[in-house]
Amino acid sequence: MTQAALSIEALEAAVRRIADGGITPARRAALERLKRTGLPTTRDEDWKYTDLAPIIDISNRWFAAADPAENAVPTIADSLASRIDASWFVIANGSVAPDAAKNAELAGIKLTQIDEIAAPAPTGAALSDLNAVLLQNGLQIAVPVDARLTKPLGFLCIDEATGTPGLSQVRIELDVAPGAVCEVLEYHVSTGDAPHFSNTVIDLRLGDGARAAFVRLQNRAHGHMLTARLQVEQSRDSIFEHAAFDLGGSLTRSDLHVNLAGPGASTELSGLYLAGAHQHIDNHIRVDHRIGPAVSRQEYRGILAADARCVWNGKAIVHVGADGTDAEQANHNLLLSTGAEIDAKPELEIYADEVKCSHGATVGELDEQALFYLRTRGIERDDATRILTRAFGNSIISKLPIEALRDIITETVDARLSALIEDGN
Amino acid sequence: MLDIRDLQVRTGDTAILRGVSLTISAGEVHAIMGPNGSGKSTLAQVIAGRDDYEVTSGSITFDGIDLFDLAPEERARAGIFLGFQYPVEIPGVNNAYLLKAAVNARRKTNGESEIDAFEFLKLAKEKMALLGMDPKFLNRGVNEGFSGGEKKRNEILQMAMLEPRLAILDETDSGLDIDALRAVAEGVNALRSPDRAIVLVTHYQRLLDYVEPDHVHVLFDGRIVRSGDKSLAIDLEAKGYEWVREAASG
Repeated sequence: MTQAALSIEALEAAVRRIADGGITPARRAALERLKRTGLPTTRDEDWKYTDLAPIIDISNRWFAAADPAENAVPTIADSLASRIDASWFVIANGSVAPDAAKNAELAGIKLTQIDEIAAPAPTGAALSDLNAVLLQNGLQIAVPVDARLTKPLGFLCIDEATGTPGLSQVRIELDVAPGAVCEVLEYHVSTGDAPHFSNTVIDLRLGDGARAAFVRLQNRAHGHMLTARLQVEQSRDSIFEHAAFDLGGSLTRSDLHVNLAGPGASTELSGLYLAGAHQHIDNHIRVDHRIGPAVSRQEYRGILAADARCVWNGKAIVHVGADGTDAEQANHNLLLSTGAEIDAKPELEIYADEVKCSHGATVGELDEQALFYLRTRGIERDDATRILTRAFGNSIISKLPIEALRDIITETVDARLSALIEDGN
Repeated sequence: MLDIRDLQVRTGDTAILRGVSLTISAGEVHAIMGPNGSGKSTLAQVIAGRDDYEVTSGSITFDGIDLFDLAPEERARAGIFLGFQYPVEIPGVNNAYLLKAAVNARRKTNGESEIDAFEFLKLAKEKMALLGMDPKFLNRGVNEGFSGGEKKRNEILQMAMLEPRLAILDETDSGLDIDALRAVAEGVNALRSPDRAIVLVTHYQRLLDYVEPDHVHVLFDGRIVRSGDKSLAIDLEAKGYEWVREAASG
């Protein structure tokens, strides 16, 4: 069986159109790398359960028809942003909104817009090369030494695809200087009835003693796809917290890589994914313990209904010499229907001696005893299902690293959950 | 109020109830006693609507309505309450949330508006004081990490808040120390009224010292083998279930 392939010729032609003729050396280099590697296929171990064919199809169609001028900010952007008190940076259809510089100044951070990426993508991250080839403009942000930001930094990644397929590239490089503390919300939404593919690449560096709390809330429209790569470098005594809420879209693939490079660093990764009819959500997490002592925690929960397909692969690698590592991984899944499927794979690779590691994964159905108990208290079956399902996800929501987001996340998750339970029936 | 006729229930190939008939009228307190495995809990669960069992024959009506036509939640809203022998732990669901949802489900059926938050809290705290429960239990997960006695008190709290017309308490007395037993008994006695009925499913006579039954039935091997007044419970305590076994076979 031949797998779908990205049309490099069409891509090159599209870049030429966008760049108005000339292709810069950095883009040319990324293009050449992409030509060599292609996008991952299901023959790659890391992509075994996630077929990029629909994404390749959208991309090829977009390359052929690309109209790079279409960057209007969808009208719902303002109302979404106004609901959360954050310093907002709107990235609409892959283009950074013009008020970014002013907002950065208000937020107390240093912002530079970048339109080129010189560094090659890491091995196996060909999507980052695609991102570099097609990037319109990205953000380089520095949080100054010992800064305490008063509001979360909000990145509203908003896309609209009507009529023709849409494609957008998001790139953020975030540098949190030693001793600085910040909160970040990455909020993905989209509208429109045409297929859309968003490809985001975020690089985060945490200096000595820096602390970042990160939330990704993905609630894209049906038929829309997202690949999200987040690479985190942690120095001595830095703290990173990440919570991912994947609710919408038809295909979502997240790659979260954390490199614990300094002693005393800790990282706490959590996520809740809700998938219903025709949804595929894949979370790949990798934590490299390079030196000890350091702590990593992974706790992910999934709720699946209808014919949903999810993948959870959490890896912790304890390298030679990383003594004093404390690593935990847990993945729990609730299947609301027999047609749903989860591939759960916690992995530990340990090459050091003094370590404390544990991992576990569970897949189960709703507890019939608990369901009956609630019904004998007068609660309708559907409501009882919703209450128990919500309770299952609550352990992730209650640990949300950004307090100010709890209400909106709870509300968004609840709405999605109700739809899912109706789906499941 | 409750009329059970020739109820036969099985699970898989095993017959559990082999023809139980029982009539319970408003204002009465019935005790159903029997050794382990006699079918007491199954009877309680079938009345509440558990569908793990197969009802092969017989009927249960509540105020003339066929209970088999009603889902468990509809039975609850009609005024039937089951206090569980093993109350289920539901981490992540707030105890106050469940209480309020249950109260509101009942009120909705009665055509009443939702309970006011302040009124709810006042009422819940009042009932908890009566049961010797710390108000902090309102904010815990339902039965999460509760001791055996705390779970049973929590069942009685739910009953007190819901004010059911028919309360079936399945071994609510088992595993309780004397203080908890007194508190539970007080909760049950507070509910006694001419328009309510209470069924105490129990293994021992102990609870009946505090809640005096009008009728006592002995369930043995899926059948009611003896019925009488409270003196039957005392006889049973003195002579043991062996006495019933002999009577049943003879």
